[in-house]
Amino acid sequence: MERFKKMNKQAIIMSKEVPVANKIKTDLHEILDIRYLTDSTFVLRIEKKELDFEAGQHVCVGPPNGIHTREYSIYSAEQDDCLEILVKEVENGLVSPSLKKLQKGGFVVVEEPVGYFTINKNLPANQKYVFIASGTGISPFHSFVLSKPDLNYTLLHGVKYAEEAYEADAFNKEDYVLCTSQESKGDYNGRVTDYLKTNSFGKDAHYYLCGNCNMIHDVYDILEEQGVSTDNIHAEVYF
Amino acid sequence: MKRKVGFKTLGCRLNQFETDALASKFVNLGYDVVEDSKDTDVFVVNTCTVTNQSDQKSRYVVNKALNQGHGGMLIITGCMANHHKEQLEKRYPNAYVINNDQKSAIPQLVEAHFNKEIKPSNDHKGGVFSYAPAAETFHTRSMIKIQDGCDNYCTFCIIPKVRGRAVSRSVDDILENIRQVVSFGYKEVVITGVNISRYNDNGTNFSALLKQIVDLDLDFRVRISSIEPDSFDDEFFELLKHPKITPHLHLCLQSASESVLLKMRRMYTYKLYQRIIERLRTIDPLFNITTDIIVGFPEESVADFQQSLDAVNEMQFGHVHTFKYSKREDTRAARMTNVVPEKEKTKRSEELRQVAVDAKIKYRKQFIGKTQQVLIDTVKDGYSKGYGEYYIPVKIAGKLKKNQLYNIQILDMENDSIDPCLRAKIVE
Ligand SMILES: Cc1cc2nc3c(=O)[nH]c(=O)nc-3n(C[C@H](O)[C@H](O)[C@H](O)COP(=O)(O)OP(=O)(O)OC[C@H]3O[C@@H](n4cnc5c(N)ncnc54)[C@H](O)[C@@H]3O)c2cc1C
Repeated sequence: MERFKKMNKQAIIMSKEVPVANKIKTDLHEILDIRYLTDSTFVLRIEKKELDFEAGQHVCVGPPNGIHTREYSIYSAEQDDCLEILVKEVENGLVSPSLKKLQKGGFVVVEEPVGYFTINKNLPANQKYVFIASGTGISPFHSFVLSKPDLNYTLLHGVKYAEEAYEADAFNKEDYVLCTSQESKGDYNGRVTDYLKTNSFGKDAHYYLCGNCNMIHDVYDILEEQGVSTDNIHAEVYF
Repeated sequence: MKRKVGFKTLGCRLNQFETDALASKFVNLGYDVVEDSKDTDVFVVNTCTVTNQSDQKSRYVVNKALNQGHGGMLIITGCMANHHKEQLEKRYPNAYVINNDQKSAIPQLVEAHFNKEIKPSNDHKGGVFSYAPAAETFHTRSMIKIQDGCDNYCTFCIIPKVRGRAVSRSVDDILENIRQVVSFGYKEVVITGVNISRYNDNGTNFSALLKQIVDLDLDFRVRISSIEPDSFDDEFFELLKHPKITPHLHLCLQSASESVLLKMRRMYTYKLYQRIIERLRTIDPLFNITTDIIVGFPEESVADFQQSLDAVNEMQFGHVHTFKYSKREDTRAARMTNVVPEKEKTKRSEELRQVAVDAKIKYRKQFIGKTQQVLIDTVKDGYSKGYGEYYIPVKIAGKLKKNQLYNIQILDMENDSIDPCLRAKIVE
């Protein structure tokens, strides 16, 4: 401890105080509306308050009386005056079933928006995007397209049944490909991965993948075979 | 009589930085500073909670101090204090349990305590960057905190919950901090934070900050500590060629299996990681890459694990910190069901450790005959020890001056089977 004795007290200059605390801010937000899209899937429309976000980010949401929250991509547009999330009730899950029980006029706990699954602002305005979603993984793409109506995109949406084409009218018909794996009512009968194998979008497109990690894993492999650089692939894993 | 404050620090470099800064503040207030609890008026335990083991270690340190009769003021701070505040307050009713964002206010809290103004369970405002630069610390290198918090949400990690959202320190403040520590005599600064590659201060990203740091017209070298391989730009690779920046990165890999990386929600692929290493080794074939690898993550198959084993050889890591996956409540991975049995995790971690030691020895041997500039941090009977630019431990016979840089030539390597030092002689 010699060095402490030798210490030159004069040498210590106080640095500028930076009074930033980085605690995660949470707040209660009122539920303004609920739209039930299938037996298990619904859109919660909630108060926005001062929560600004970038399309593609998520919020952690939970019931008002519990300590647990889960991540949900924001479904609504940046400019909307409320926030929406698209939730699928997971059987035996903890948070999603309790969110499903909530009613209009009730409250949810919401943490500040966060995440890096956003459109890179340095890319040119006419950049081609390929959005690939499984199930509720369509949520951030809904926000992208509503927030930036001029996006040049193709959206591949993988679901089991056509009824899971959640509010697909938000997308241009010609830019949206519904891939149904368990029935032939979609635009394509099969998985998104099967569609992608036979329909390549080129090396210059930017690919955004969202949903379960098995789909994302397989899509990475297919894109690699098609010569797409990992710099052009962006992924948001839900589970 | 001068009051005495003792510190024990667990976990990451950020904690070490914060302890150093606190220690320095205490010296400024007229305290003696030591590195244990013996005969101290105040004992500060700067805890970690990254694994269950870190929790245990943190508790062990507190209990040990109490068992050895520490009767002075006890302060428990750091990530475990954030995460288990209530539990700790219950278990140690006479301790002050201080959150990370109030940590920098500990000296004021201690003064207030001795002035009998407060009792435990007080709420002092600090802020995550309110640390004075440390004139004299527990380390030869001065750590510079540029950032706190993380927004990546890896599925195994509790840090975002305990450290909070990513927040960056202002460029001016960082540059000022470096000017000060260099004027105190430091020869090396270590850039630290929870997730430094995501640094962003009003549009100034990590590379742009680094450029301003190396452009300071002062004599020092820069070490970049632990960094995530997920947002490097071309400018960053260019900057690594700068003579002030040391050729060493602790680049967290966690797993070399693409599917495990996805389950971990890491923001890069193993292929991207490989490309980064390739670029680093083009800049300097001996570039030292050290890393963290988690073994036994839920659903990690034998084939997934084999990929991590292969990566250790393929990447020629200078050091691998092997972690057995440990479940942290309240994380996404804790809810994964297909877990790897404890026995298998132990087996895998031992296997990986052995491969990592072999790789380390192979890596270090390449330096024999080469010259380096070593910063001496330890002077013991008969030898001096320090780290060269590549962050490899080097021993030199004789008493050298601490915190001085010496040009040396590597002669050979010790026989130590786990962490062999290089042996060297001074050259002009
Ligand atoms: C960044 C991010 C954004 C997300 N955005 C959305 C979103 O917009 N909409 C949405 O519905 N979910 C989204 N999720 C998933 C969501 O956070 C929860 O995991 C999901 O609602 C289940 O939570 P739970 O508490 O009900 O179940 P838990 O008790 O947490 O989990 C039960 C089990 O179900 C599995 N599981 C989790 N999600 C699903 C799923 N969708 N289908 C089938 N099995 C699942 C888990 O692996 C776990 O084993 C997102 C996840 C992340 C990480």
